[in-house]
Amino acid sequence: MQPILDLRDVSYSYLGRQNALLDITLQIGQGEQVTFMGANGSGKSTLLAILNALIYPTEGEFRAFGNLVRPEVFDSLKEDRFRSFFRRKVGFVFQNSDVQLFSSTVYDEVAFGPLQLDLPRDEVKARVEELIDMMDLGKLRDRAPHTLSGGEKKKVCIASVLAINPDVLLLDEPTAGLDPRTQLWLIELLQELGRSGKTVVTATHDLDIIEQIGQRSVVIGEDHRIVVDRRTDQVLNDLDLLLAANLIHRHMHRHGILLHQHVHSHGEEHKHRHEQDHDHGRPHDKAK
Amino acid sequence: MTKVDDSPWPSCQAQGGRRDFVRKTLDGILSFLQEAFVTREISSKKGLLQSLDPRIKLISVLALVFALTTVRDLRVILIFYMITIVIAHLSGISLSFFVKRVWLFIPIFTGVIALPMIFNVFLPGQPLYHLLYLGPSASLGPFALPESIYITREGVWSACVFTLRVAACVSAVVLLFLTTSQAVLFRSLRSVGVPKVYVLTLEMANRYVFLFLEIIRDLYTAKRSRTIISRGTWAEQRWVGGRIGYMLIKSLDLSERVHQAMISRGFNGDVKIIEEYRIGLPDYLAGALALASSALMILYD
Repeated sequence: MQPILDLRDVSYSYLGRQNALLDITLQIGQGEQVTFMGANGSGKSTLLAILNALIYPTEGEFRAFGNLVRPEVFDSLKEDRFRSFFRRKVGFVFQNSDVQLFSSTVYDEVAFGPLQLDLPRDEVKARVEELIDMMDLGKLRDRAPHTLSGGEKKKVCIASVLAINPDVLLLDEPTAGLDPRTQLWLIELLQELGRSGKTVVTATHDLDIIEQIGQRSVVIGEDHRIVVDRRTDQVLNDLDLLLAANLIHRHMHRHGILLHQHVHSHGEEHKHRHEQDHDHGRPHDKAK
Repeated sequence: MTKVDDSPWPSCQAQGGRRDFVRKTLDGILSFLQEAFVTREISSKKGLLQSLDPRIKLISVLALVFALTTVRDLRVILIFYMITIVIAHLSGISLSFFVKRVWLFIPIFTGVIALPMIFNVFLPGQPLYHLLYLGPSASLGPFALPESIYITREGVWSACVFTLRVAACVSAVVLLFLTTSQAVLFRSLRSVGVPKVYVLTLEMANRYVFLFLEIIRDLYTAKRSRTIISRGTWAEQRWVGGRIGYMLIKSLDLSERVHQAMISRGFNGDVKIIEEYRIGLPDYLAGALALASSALMILYD
């Protein structure tokens, strides 16, 4: 498969000193559902920002749709066909919804993207109405962003990106701070987008959703390098890997969809056994 | 760090005191959030002004305010003020809320300017009430003062006209703000030739003021929850100074990220906004009435 997003030996450092990413080589093909997993500060958000051509590698190269992504093209005041094409193709849902909701009302927010595409006004309106309908935002359409709840904000953020109808969707910690119902709604939406052929790239450290939103997982270590790039089920069953990447704690681990916690108030060895079946198909012993 | 202090609770009476200045200032600023909520509620009601096109409302209010500034007849101003009260009522605005909102600021801003006007020191005229006899050749430094200081008839009249004129103008503007959502109001500025980029900037500034207010409120709440002893005004001022610096850094960081979010959705510096209004016959009639009234007021005077 021809990769649509192609990173070769990419490194990124802030102010030339603080490393955020090191030697990242990664290809993402059309229609793939990929998750970036990593602890806080591992560089997931930076990687997404590079994939959205908001920042540029300090070393290595990034190609999107076969073209080299360079600041000369993306930061130029001159109109550029590739830049317009890229912005139509790739949508980015930011982690902080307040960053993304800069318009006065929900309606204006959803309309912002289509307006930038220079679509005819009627088409913009039709698209906004369709999105508002699809995302069940009718009651919120004239509301100001600061009056929305966290879940509503996230919905509007996603609607505002989907309004451009991108083929590639980048999401940064999309489930952070969402209640279970909104989380489930989001997972189902991402699955639906995946089924319709969209490329969905999600950065998260929420292990509960990874299996549901991506078949492929890229684990980024705390040293800002890719640790593994494998099938999601393989990654999730590799407890040593998850421990090393600080994605689970030895006293907190997954069993199927349940997160299991051991709270210790002593420093002595102990064992416990779960009677029920687990996602790895056998009872689980845990020793400390 | 893990020890629990289980000594008996002190038996002491909670004592009140003056509220600190940070709290008072923040309460004042944060009331802006509540007011915005009330404004949104009123602007979404069904009423006379809410049914009119925002551009017509904006142009009408501007014309009326301009005409009013030229009027010197107290009766005309009084009639205008009464009309604003009637319109407020027809627009579903509580009269006590409306009157309070207008007159709350009048003594502060207008009173300071109008008050000296009533004394013969600033505006000579017929004596209305004698205050002080200074005697001949009284002076204040290099300035000569009149023999006696009194309130003048002309001064009181001018102060009344001035104060009522300000109240009438403020009432018209308050009506506009209360019956039009902020987003629509900013957008309607395009009708008086304000460039799109200013409209967008104004909208975004207004949107992020709320976010920053919420951050400031959270910062102060977090501080209060950890305040064990009062540290005095100097320490409070230092804290405020530090937070102002923090908010500046935060706003710079946020502006960069917001710009990235805009670029990510195709923004390339060319501002595109949706302006969709429909002007009907009632709008034309209301606009014509407002413009005719403005012209009449100017001509009458």
